[in-house]
Amino acid sequence: MDIGFSPEEMHFREECRDWLHANVPAGKRPLDAADAITFDKAWQRRLFDAGWAGINWPTDYGGRGLSIVQQVIWLEEYAAAHAPWIGANFVGINHGGPTLILNASEEQKAYHLPRILKGEAIWCQGFSEPGAGSDLAGIKTRGRIEGDELVINGSKIWTSFAHVADWQELVLRTEEGSLRHKGLSWVICDMHAPGITVRPIRKMSGQTEFAEVFYDDVRIPLANVVGGLGNGWKVAMSTLSFERGTGFIADQVKQSQEIEELIAAARANGMIKDDRIADQLAQLRAEVAAVRAMTYRNISEVVRTGQPGPEASVIRLFTSELGQRLERMAVLLMGDAIIDFAYGDDNVVGDYLRGFAATIAGGTAQIQRDIIGERLLGLPKSR
Amino acid sequence: MDLTPNDEQIAFQTATADWCRDNMALEGARARPEGLWAEIEAMGWTGMTAPGMDLDHATEALVFAELGRFLAPIGLIATAVASRWFPDVAEGKVALALTVSEPEDLRVLDPAGSCAVLMSEPGGLRLFDLPDSFTDQSGMVHATPHAPTIDLSTLQSRHEWTSSLWTEDDPAPPLHLQLLSAAYAVGCADAARDMAADYARLREQFDRPIGWFQALKHICSDMAVRAAAARSQLYYAACALDENAADAAFHVAAAKRLADQAALDNGRANIQVHGGIGMTDEAAAHLPLKRAHLLQFIAPAARETLLA
Repeated sequence: MDIGFSPEEMHFREECRDWLHANVPAGKRPLDAADAITFDKAWQRRLFDAGWAGINWPTDYGGRGLSIVQQVIWLEEYAAAHAPWIGANFVGINHGGPTLILNASEEQKAYHLPRILKGEAIWCQGFSEPGAGSDLAGIKTRGRIEGDELVINGSKIWTSFAHVADWQELVLRTEEGSLRHKGLSWVICDMHAPGITVRPIRKMSGQTEFAEVFYDDVRIPLANVVGGLGNGWKVAMSTLSFERGTGFIADQVKQSQEIEELIAAARANGMIKDDRIADQLAQLRAEVAAVRAMTYRNISEVVRTGQPGPEASVIRLFTSELGQRLERMAVLLMGDAIIDFAYGDDNVVGDYLRGFAATIAGGTAQIQRDIIGERLLGLPKSR
Repeated sequence: MDLTPNDEQIAFQTATADWCRDNMALEGARARPEGLWAEIEAMGWTGMTAPGMDLDHATEALVFAELGRFLAPIGLIATAVASRWFPDVAEGKVALALTVSEPEDLRVLDPAGSCAVLMSEPGGLRLFDLPDSFTDQSGMVHATPHAPTIDLSTLQSRHEWTSSLWTEDDPAPPLHLQLLSAAYAVGCADAARDMAADYARLREQFDRPIGWFQALKHICSDMAVRAAAARSQLYYAACALDENAADAAFHVAAAKRLADQAALDNGRANIQVHGGIGMTDEAAAHLPLKRAHLLQFIAPAARETLLA
């Protein structure tokens, strides 16, 4: 075991650092929704043009085809350089794209992957429904086959960036009368197709970045089905396991900066003299270190075996709850200013309120605990 | 960068676990047999850390986590550390004294059959000769007792001891002690987790295994999370020591802190999962808990180091 990097990897790190130093935008990602999208697209394009988008994506589709270790190095340097969150490109880069790489046809990959990497196509997710949250197999949105098209009716919810998205990874029931995990399909849905209505949902943080999506006889070509009709559950799980595996490395890296900022803030305002706060900060710093160690261990597992180990779900759970503890600490250090729930430039309040998503989206903390208990510890399935 | 054990390290781990299962089962930690120490020495764990062995910290951490899983004697930590830093002197078993700043009575862990006592003090480690008998504050003379159990300890007066050996100006010896005791705690947390999960699969109520219920399943999952975080940090810390990394002291302290918590929290949760039987002496659930409490006092992680 070792934590060192090869000379080649260290050279790559230098390269990342140099480019980021010269290119990271000075200003923050705009808070205004429309400005933020423009910003996200421009930044993604800049990353692509310089060869930093899709570091471990296949070269045939615009990626660099580099190793997952190099991807981690890039993300470490990315966070260290205070580069902006990828924002609206999140779903395409972290869910849609990786799912296409694993499951899509040549044609689908050739069309979509470069557009995702260039920031030309914004993607959103269409998994959850009002009646299918943690119980995702309860999906009711249906697609009737008519000729070479699917005619879609139903609704999806909690769809981030739906109002600006060009494409959606949509899981729906394509076999009439099918039950649970069977008869579902994973479809690339054109968000500009007639019959789609997006109704924004205002979050408790005041923003409307997620939405409800309604489908009223929406026609999507059958050619947009990914991984074959009726295989939607399998395809969707490949996305989720990615998400539970290496999809959150960027967040994990970011936490190592957040804790340093919190300690500096507590020193600056004197609150670190409070023993309880000092002790919590010490605890958080140890936990953040453990996240990096767990991530490295998981990456090593991927390098060795080709896939993340079953402990990936442990990392996902630990990271999401640790993120919330960090946000909670940031709020504590604000003192009574939190009562105003005002969103300053530091974004502490916004991060705190948005941070509740970490243990809900992509599988609640409770579902993660079920998975850990059943897959890692061999306890009987309760569902 | 690779934080998974290589084939040789896995072989070390497996051999250790296999031997422990056959010869030093966790359930036997209540009272280990007299001849056990000789067998432990013969297996090489007391000497594997000696300078000439050139074993890296990563392998040591892996092996000591396995030993910790079976609640191996505490003297093994002290002896292994002493054989690295006092190789010419430490022949035979070394007990471990908890650190105190004042020259008052000291708590000595696992003194049976020991020839010396290891104690960490600010900035280094010190090795004391251990007399065959000692006098307590009231003037009573005690023979060094012989009945090693999991939490056996004695209070001894430091005035009785002599020492001409200590380390100074070297951060490595105390970090070595902290790393190996963190490894013990990681093993202890694993043991409690596995005991709880085994029981949750087996024990039935309401016509099904209690592990079916989310309330119980999630207790076990949290045990797995704590153990995984502590183990990963242990690996990282061991590698940081092997690399002489500038932040090695922080990483070892973080490993000790998380491992201590995992051991204690898992030890407590294990009793809860076991229910009534968990409170009995007959069941072994209390053994990891008691070991966890003891480990909190060995080379604890300093808050200043974690915030430095």
